Amino acid sequence: MAGKKLSGAEIVVEELKKEGVEVAFGIPGGALLDFYEALQQAEEIRHILMRHEQCAAHAADGYARVSGRTGVCIATSGPGATNLITGLTNANMDSSPVVALTGQVPTSAIGSNAFQEASTFTITMPITKHNFLVTRAEDLPRVIHNAFYIANTGRKGVVLVDLPKDVQASKVEVELHPEETFPGYKPNINPNKVQTKKAAEALANAERPLILAGGGVISAGATEELRTLAETLGAGVVTTLMGKGAIPESHPLCLGMAGMHGRIYANRALNECDALLALGTRFSDRLTGWQLDQFAPDATLIQVDVDAAEINKNIPVDIPIVGDVKLALSDILKWLKKESIREGSVWLQRVKEMHSACEECIKDIHRPGSSVSDILIKELNNILDDDTIITTEVGQCQMFAAHYYMTKKPRTFISSGGLGTMGFGFPAAIGAKVAAPDKQVVDIAGDGSFLMTCHDLATCVENDIPVVVCIFDNRYLGMVRQWQELFFDKRYSHTNLGITPDFIKLGEAFGCYAERVEKPEDLKSALKNAFESGKPAVLDMIVGKEDKVLPMIPPGGGITGMIGTERCRRV
Amino acid sequence: MQTRVISLLVEDNPGVLTRMSGMFTMRGINISSLTVSPCEKPGLSRMTVTIEASESELEKVRKQLSNLIEVIKVVDLKEHDAIIRDLCLMKVHTKNVEARTEVMQLAESYGAKIADASLDSLILELADEPERIDRFIELMKHFGIKQLFRTGITAIARD
Ligand SMILES: Cc1ncc(C[n+]2csc(CCOP(=O)(O)OP(=O)(O)O)c2C)c(N)n1
Ligand SMILES: [Mg+2]
Repeated sequence: MAGKKLSGAEIVVEELKKEGVEVAFGIPGGALLDFYEALQQAEEIRHILMRHEQCAAHAADGYARVSGRTGVCIATSGPGATNLITGLTNANMDSSPVVALTGQVPTSAIGSNAFQEASTFTITMPITKHNFLVTRAEDLPRVIHNAFYIANTGRKGVVLVDLPKDVQASKVEVELHPEETFPGYKPNINPNKVQTKKAAEALANAERPLILAGGGVISAGATEELRTLAETLGAGVVTTLMGKGAIPESHPLCLGMAGMHGRIYANRALNECDALLALGTRFSDRLTGWQLDQFAPDATLIQVDVDAAEINKNIPVDIPIVGDVKLALSDILKWLKKESIREGSVWLQRVKEMHSACEECIKDIHRPGSSVSDILIKELNNILDDDTIITTEVGQCQMFAAHYYMTKKPRTFISSGGLGTMGFGFPAAIGAKVAAPDKQVVDIAGDGSFLMTCHDLATCVENDIPVVVCIFDNRYLGMVRQWQELFFDKRYSHTNLGITPDFIKLGEAFGCYAERVEKPEDLKSALKNAFESGKPAVLDMIVGKEDKVLPMIPPGGGITGMIGTERCRRV
Repeated sequence: MQTRVISLLVEDNPGVLTRMSGMFTMRGINISSLTVSPCEKPGLSRMTVTIEASESELEKVRKQLSNLIEVIKVVDLKEHDAIIRDLCLMKVHTKNVEARTEVMQLAESYGAKIADASLDSLILELADEPERIDRFIELMKHFGIKQLFRTGITAIARD
């Protein structure tokens, strides 16, 4: 396409089309007038006008997590860009591929405190995988191409492109669609064969093998390999929050999420195993607890990660493998074929027993000691189909969901892991619904969290994006309240949210379907009504004001020191 | 804690220095010396960074630096197999003839050059291993150092 003069804005749009971008979430502004002019002419790209840039970033993030494709968000210079920050940090911390385009004041004005100028380039440096400040329109094809390439390869993440107004407007003659990449960017994809062989041997020789699946398994599309390996080895599987869905939680070898608010037997298994294969996880303190001597003390530790900087970072590793999880698992499986796998081991029996104990507790909806919050999530397991996409806000609501919800498929449990961002779940649900319009999308929300981003109900209604928000209405910043109850002698400092708003009226004001769920028994019909309304919906679920997420690892504790385990079945 | 010298080959773009130094700032590691200059490859620069860090800190930082898109190569220069140099310029008081003669003799024995002279001071120039420069500075303190400049360490690995 050389020979034709295009404006910088047109070049960006041409490159977006070439990258297969079908949707972008954004808000225009003075510094983006040229870009939005060009965007409007691109019929291939659907633009969803958001009501806050943070939501644009979360929606792009949610879209990416559900589809595996790069999410795109757009914001103008200054306040638009600074509003994006939380959303971008969130996506980057959870290795979600997002490209952000921001407007910027003209190059001649940069650094002059011009109207709506913020140094987006320097502000976003530590919260992105990479970022660009484009100063010449000629650079745009290469920059946009590489933004997408970098965002969605290796350890995925956020790439931001800052576009000064004059760069968008200037007309240049350039070669579009370059293939050229950067010499310093070569993601380590191929695992070392010597290491995968060692790993296979260690796993085959182990008596009590366990696999810890992190978000990297889902991101790499390695869920089939994971399942095959677990079945071949007779290994148990535990997951992180980000790894939820890497294996169906109903699978007899799956023990569910481990860690601070994990399932008791997932943590037990981590303590008991003698070989641990960690896949695409960074061993955050929310997983390991704080007594590291309780974390897999007898295990040969094998860690697979596409990011070499994660290996050995938080936990010392015996067999490090740098590379793509899917490729590493295929290699390990190939090596294993030559080994003889013992069947019917004592450990396999124990894993299955632990699995059934957990599953029974979750199926036993009204088990003594259950709170209304527990019961609501357990009910969801019966009401929702396996394809339903769950997103969560942050707090108790999130941990109730992580603990009790039985995720069956990858990319159907979307939660803010690394940053723990209140207000993420609802805009992420918007992105999820746009990525998968045929699936039901349910945001499991806290009342505190939802109020941080609820204005984007307008976006849902205007753009016909029918997601269902299920609010855990406890009128508390519940998770903080729980800590104050348990560890600060019930001194509830500034966690009481009072009595406003009326969530039904709030939903209705935006034109949503809204219904109050006073008792868990009413959840089923309320959800049915919500889905059948075809509209975005707000369900106000009244829960116990002082419900607690238990069991949990108390601060400073280790994975064998969970408190509140009375309600768990012993095996 | 040990002194570590890291050599980086980077793309010569605005922002690379901030990105690189941010990696250290995040971990609260102080950069004690830093040199940046063009190198044999057009469009690329070489940075030599000296930090105080433990083995494990260094390992983490090295990997994270490698992750930066504009960083092409990271080398942890071990003292024994690298040639390390620093350049020092200093203005030394030479109030009387004895002091002047003594300073000139010491400078000669250290291989320092006299870059400029005035009636009551000399400007000395010494390019050497940093430890030798440290010793030379200690000596010159007896005469009175008016001003001291060091470029910071640059280093090259032996084959
Ligand atoms: C943006 C943001 N601010 C503050 C926090 C700290 N925080 C963690 S959980 C929580 C309470 C969440 O309350 P709510 O959304 O009502 O959920 P609940 O715990 O009551 O289910 C708070 C304030 C946070 N995670 N994110
Ligand atoms: Mg609440």
